[in-house]
Amino acid sequence: MNPATINLINQPLLVMESASLRLGRHHFGPYTLTLHAGERVAVLGPSGAGKTTLLKLASRELHHSGGHISLLGRDIRHYSLREMSRRRAVLAQTTHVAFGMQTELVVSLGRAALEIDPHLTTIVHNAMQLAHAAHLAGRKMDQLSGGEQARIHLARIFAQLWDIEQGLVMMDEPLAALDPGLQGELLDSMQSYAEARGHALLAILHDINQALHAFDRLLLVNNGQLESQVKADLHALPALQSLYGIHLGSLMTPDGQAVVYRKKNAALTARPQAHSHLNS
Amino acid sequence: MQRMISAHQEGQEGQPALPSRRAHLQQWLGLGAIAFAGLLPRSVHAANQRLVCVGGALTEIVYALGASADLAGVDTTSLYPPAAQALPSVGYARTLSAEGILALAPSMLLATEDAGPPTVIRQIENAGIAVHVLAANHQFEGLLQRVQKVGELTGHVREATELQTRLRTEWQLVRTNVEAHSAASPRVLFILSHSMSQVMVAGQDTSADAMLRYAGARNAMQGFTGFKPLTPEAVIAAQPDIILLTDLGLKAAGSKAAILKLPGLAQTPAGRKQRIVSMETMLLLGFGPRLPLALKELDRSLQSAMQAG
Amino acid sequence: MRIPFRSTPSAHWGNKWHVTLLLATTLLALAIASSIGAVPISWRDWLPPLHGENTGNSYVLWELRLPRTLLALLAGGMLGVAGALAQGLFRNPLADPGLLGVNSGAACAAALTIVFADSLPWGLPAGLRPWLLPLAAFAGALLVCFTLDRVARWITPGSIAGLLLTGIALNAIAVAVLGLCTYLSTDEQLRSLSFWTLGSLAGAGWTIVGVALLMLLMAIWQVRRLARAMNALALGEAAAAHIGIEVATLRSRTILIVALLVGATVAWCGMISFISLIAPHLVRTLHGSDQRRVLPLSIFVGGLLLLIADTLARTLATPAEIPVGIFTALLGGPFFLMLLNQTRERIG
Repeated sequence: MNPATINLINQPLLVMESASLRLGRHHFGPYTLTLHAGERVAVLGPSGAGKTTLLKLASRELHHSGGHISLLGRDIRHYSLREMSRRRAVLAQTTHVAFGMQTELVVSLGRAALEIDPHLTTIVHNAMQLAHAAHLAGRKMDQLSGGEQARIHLARIFAQLWDIEQGLVMMDEPLAALDPGLQGELLDSMQSYAEARGHALLAILHDINQALHAFDRLLLVNNGQLESQVKADLHALPALQSLYGIHLGSLMTPDGQAVVYRKKNAALTARPQAHSHLNS
Repeated sequence: MQRMISAHQEGQEGQPALPSRRAHLQQWLGLGAIAFAGLLPRSVHAANQRLVCVGGALTEIVYALGASADLAGVDTTSLYPPAAQALPSVGYARTLSAEGILALAPSMLLATEDAGPPTVIRQIENAGIAVHVLAANHQFEGLLQRVQKVGELTGHVREATELQTRLRTEWQLVRTNVEAHSAASPRVLFILSHSMSQVMVAGQDTSADAMLRYAGARNAMQGFTGFKPLTPEAVIAAQPDIILLTDLGLKAAGSKAAILKLPGLAQTPAGRKQRIVSMETMLLLGFGPRLPLALKELDRSLQSAMQAG
Repeated sequence: MRIPFRSTPSAHWGNKWHVTLLLATTLLALAIASSIGAVPISWRDWLPPLHGENTGNSYVLWELRLPRTLLALLAGGMLGVAGALAQGLFRNPLADPGLLGVNSGAACAAALTIVFADSLPWGLPAGLRPWLLPLAAFAGALLVCFTLDRVARWITPGSIAGLLLTGIALNAIAVAVLGLCTYLSTDEQLRSLSFWTLGSLAGAGWTIVGVALLMLLMAIWQVRRLARAMNALALGEAAAAHIGIEVATLRSRTILIVALLVGATVAWCGMISFISLIAPHLVRTLHGSDQRRVLPLSIFVGGLLLLIADTLARTLATPAEIPVGIFTALLGGPFFLMLLNQTRERIG
């Protein structure tokens, strides 16, 4: 670690201060949050709540009209796109690749902003392996299934911040297109990838259990507002209940993990599927 | 490009304005010819001339002068006499090919103003070929000048003079006939048509307008120049007594009845009396050596149409 | 274990071996095309003409055929790379400048100058005269490109159907303006108009070849720098921005190059369609869709295609010639339908 990096440790990675945006008749924000290096934060909320907009503001895909957003203490509006790309990576909900490009090429595009990149081949290879996509090398994107394409894009995100420390990885439902077994494995990959580099993870999720299990903090978004920020443990249940308007129950698995499930009514006890879900 | 073309058009005085060596020679000879007009026989190009002729009327003149042995190639409008159709075709006058023409090893290119594209004409000229663009001015006098010019260029001056004399005599005869009955000049609408969906009528400054005038008829369409698309209302307003077509146009339409179905035509005297006349395109509009014949035929057709109805 | 990559991501500017092969093919095609034609050429004519005595077959070879074959290669190359750029920009193999109306826009502007340049109230400087047509064609192409770009981004984002429909509309407008020009033109102007609405390389000369070569080299130099960013654009505008590509700059630069290339070819050779559609597609089929290969190889393939088409156009009906635009359209029409069939599920 060079001295400059050490110096950054105490500085928050991403700071949003009352960042807001008006899109037509919809008003988003003000969003206020602070994200430190190495933190794992999940964004939860019902569909259309403004989760993606929050992510787009933080990644500068959309420009905030009010408030302030800074990355490593510097206003994100003062970054060049190239500088930004070396600090944060973004995995969109869906990315359609034109022309049926080769998978390695797509992964290598994560590093397209670099003029000189001597270790590109190795990094692409390792990133694909980490994203469980090594076997897809040599294939063309338009021949892959949705889940396989998602893995290639995840590898692209990995490659982008592969040799960076304390970056920010933003993901919009990264696991949606994957089958449950792979979801768990890729979640593990993301965690080890972020942990090894001190990257912060900011991910939009739909699965409450994944959020509680693999993340430190939850951002609860509803009606274009950041309703609350809670620690990712069972104390978050009341907030989650009101966020989704459902009743939630919890139980412990034999190996000591908490599992949250939706109650049909208050009297109902845990369904056995909850166990199998977690163990699979 | 446009300026270039006009620079190469030869005026009615017959002064060539070509930059090539051959042209200078001609110019010099031309001046000499003017100085010794009629005294010296001018058969400069008599031997082994190879001629590419672009323009049906020019080809007709070449044949009429007995210079057809010199012809190495003609364009697609050179349909008369039928023998011309057996010659190598250099294609449509406006999309000529420099190399294609040069492949015929011509010594001279005779062309109407239609010939193009301009770059190709320039390329042929740069290859050392004498290029002569002869203006078509839709006048009998213009025909005489072109006969003279072609005669000089092909070394058939005597034949040209004979042809001019014959043309003058014939023309006089036909014109006298026309003027004899010019009191009743019919209003004629000329329709140029390659398919019934694309119908153009002749305004002023057209070959058709000139022919009608010579035939003692009036062009029913007044107030514009060139060929313009037909508007039914203008046709009704023009009240033509006779519809004049080319043979090809009539063939494309199918029958005279089909012509009369064109919007507006039925409401005209020509439509009501079914007065439709057609002639061969190159004969009617070419202003070649068959001009007196064309006028005679046009006059006869118009007269008989008027008498029939 | 290392997986052997079929194409390493660090591959630069095409594969050396392929480029050598293509270069050889191109030279061979050039030699063949230059030695066939209406006038038979012997080896003696290939000796460079001596001081001014340039007549006969040597003139045909050096002043007609060689400039023409070279222009066919260069113009084909320009169209090929313009097509690859446009397809990359609009992220679709059907986004051909011709189909989208760029060629018609250029032709339209050029026709307007032919018909109206003389009736301008202010006189044109004589030095500007020869450049008026190419400049107008460039302006026309640029206008269409910007319109398309607007449509692609705002009106029908991400839809090739919307883009192609816009192309139809722009083409229709251009055809109407061309028709109006024809209607208003004098006979003399009409001769100039009919020459290049059909598309022909007959106007080739060494000056045009020189300028075309310069333009193509300039385009290659620019495209080399754009190729990687063009690859990123295949992920979509947002993703490209996320990985650090200045998309706005890329778009405007690409549009400028496409307009310049298409404008120049239209001004010199008239409307030659479909080369820009076919060349990049052939390259992608053979070599994959890495723009660092597609862009340079499209130059070669486009050049070869137009050279073949023009050689056929000028030799099939000797001593007459068939407008080359007719050939490329005959070739390209069915090809487009085939492509449409291949991508039909992705349209709409």
